[in-house]
Amino acid sequence: MGVTLTLSQGEGVSVLRLGFPGAWLAAALLACTTREAPPPPRWVDDLGHPVGLAHPARRIASLSPSTTELLFAIGAGNRVVGRTRWCDFPPQATAVPSVGDGLNPNLELVLSRTPDLVVFYASAANQSVITRLDGLGVAAASVRLDRLDDLPRAAGLLGRLTGTATRADSLAAAFAARLDSARAARTAPVQRVAVVVWDNPPIVIGAGSFLTELLELAGARNVFDDLALASAQTGIEVIAARDPDVLLILGNGVPAFARRPEWQNVGAVRRRSFVAVRGSEFERPTFRAFDAVRTLRAALRQGRAR
Amino acid sequence: MKWLALVTAAVLALVTAVVVGPAGFSADATTLGIIRDLRMPRALLAFLVGGSLAVTGSALQALVRNPLADPYLLGLSGGAGLGAVGAIALHLDGPWVLPASAFVGALAAIAVVYRLGVVTGAVLDTRVLLLAGVVVGAFAAAMMGAIMAVSPAAELRNAFVWLLGGFGSASWQSVSVFAAYAAIPVVLIYVAARSLDLLTLGEEPATYLGADVERTKRLVYGAASLLTAAAVAVSGTIGFVGLVVPHAIRLLWGHLHRTLLPAAFLLGGTLLVLADALARTLFAPVELPVGVVTAFLGVPVFVLLVRRWAR
Repeated sequence: MGVTLTLSQGEGVSVLRLGFPGAWLAAALLACTTREAPPPPRWVDDLGHPVGLAHPARRIASLSPSTTELLFAIGAGNRVVGRTRWCDFPPQATAVPSVGDGLNPNLELVLSRTPDLVVFYASAANQSVITRLDGLGVAAASVRLDRLDDLPRAAGLLGRLTGTATRADSLAAAFAARLDSARAARTAPVQRVAVVVWDNPPIVIGAGSFLTELLELAGARNVFDDLALASAQTGIEVIAARDPDVLLILGNGVPAFARRPEWQNVGAVRRRSFVAVRGSEFERPTFRAFDAVRTLRAALRQGRAR
Repeated sequence: MKWLALVTAAVLALVTAVVVGPAGFSADATTLGIIRDLRMPRALLAFLVGGSLAVTGSALQALVRNPLADPYLLGLSGGAGLGAVGAIALHLDGPWVLPASAFVGALAAIAVVYRLGVVTGAVLDTRVLLLAGVVVGAFAAAMMGAIMAVSPAAELRNAFVWLLGGFGSASWQSVSVFAAYAAIPVVLIYVAARSLDLLTLGEEPATYLGADVERTKRLVYGAASLLTAAAVAVSGTIGFVGLVVPHAIRLLWGHLHRTLLPAAFLLGGTLLVLADALARTLFAPVELPVGVVTAFLGVPVFVLLVRRWAR
């Protein structure tokens, strides 16, 4: 009641100011608000915004590789009509037209896919695009997918938005159960690992990333697990002082910085104790996490034997 | 007295930077190795780069007679950034790719800016030089943006972090290469100190007073840009030192370049050593970009100086 009153007062002001077109607009708006109030949103996304979707999404633009993979996993892949250029799994996803980048996306390209739901990675950078989509009547959902624990919740939300809740929930429950038992079965870490994703300046992975969880599940420990961030710039001195047994590299073999003189104070670099893994399962949290753990465990064991 | 204070400050800063660090200070082998191979070269490189940037800034401010001139004004940072981003986008691999490609990019920018600067005839027009620097920098930034947008290399973001500046890659090797290289342009600029004094009066008066204006302009421009190119290659673009330190010294010391240049070298080096020590330790184990710290340290000091001078 109070809301209606404020609305009509506000529109009254604009009638005075804008003259005839304003009056027409106000009348139309008032008609809308009085005739049928929009149904209360049933779902709230990971940024706390309601998702204004009255029916299961039929055409989805997925603007992050992790949500694209998740949508395919829960059986909504045939409704994905737009993806980012980084979405490369499952292979069928690459058949979907790309709309470019996922952060700060090209709105025109996204709309050209006529989606009724746009799925974003939860980031403040997308706020203006989401506001624009709201104005155009296209539903938007932001999904935070940084750690393995985020996966069951994200699957549940996307399952509800796409009408595949049954499959999504059972996958989520199975994954959560497997995660719990794997964590319970965890033994004391054998190797202390630093994940160096860039060398100049040195950037390492912290506890905010699923990679730290993968390491723990693979029987190792991230020496930077005291950093709450997903990744952070640090110094060679810090890496040398924490003296990890192994440097985990996302890529191929021994990195070029291993030959630079300033890195020789890091024991693992001096011993050429590098473990390299590659594949999209190490780039984002996915239901393939346990495959990634298996790969990682084997790679770490091989590194230890060397 | 002032010299004693400056030298003492420089020595104290260097000692602090060697003693203080996220790994602490103790006598075990690991820490001693860290101090010898990481902290000492890092502090020295920061000192040399800070001094070089301050000298370059002083010389360029006199050369273009503009108080806003700084070492990166002449399109260098754009060229260096484009070199680095280009190398990453082309997947060039190797331990020295980033500094080498940044250096080549900076040299290319210098060549283009210089060519544009003499386009009006045989004389090097400093106004055209300024405009050419800004334009070449903007063009390089646009090219970088285009490469970023089109290239699928996810590492490009890290090239920008590198360009923000830092001394994480310091080693005895890079210190000795930079010291040997920087000595020549620094001495060349110092030799031109008297001509720079005259140039600040304007090109025409300087000519009447017996300065070889054309030769000085070319020499100082060449030396300053070659010095900055090397600084960018070893440490990215560290703002603020080259802009503010010369002004601070002028406020305290006066305008004669024979004293201004060495004093700026000492203060610039001291400031950057302290800034880097803070960058390493303030939020350890996370390291701040050193340019952030130079601004935090430098702005309040500069405001105090200007207030004192205005009174």
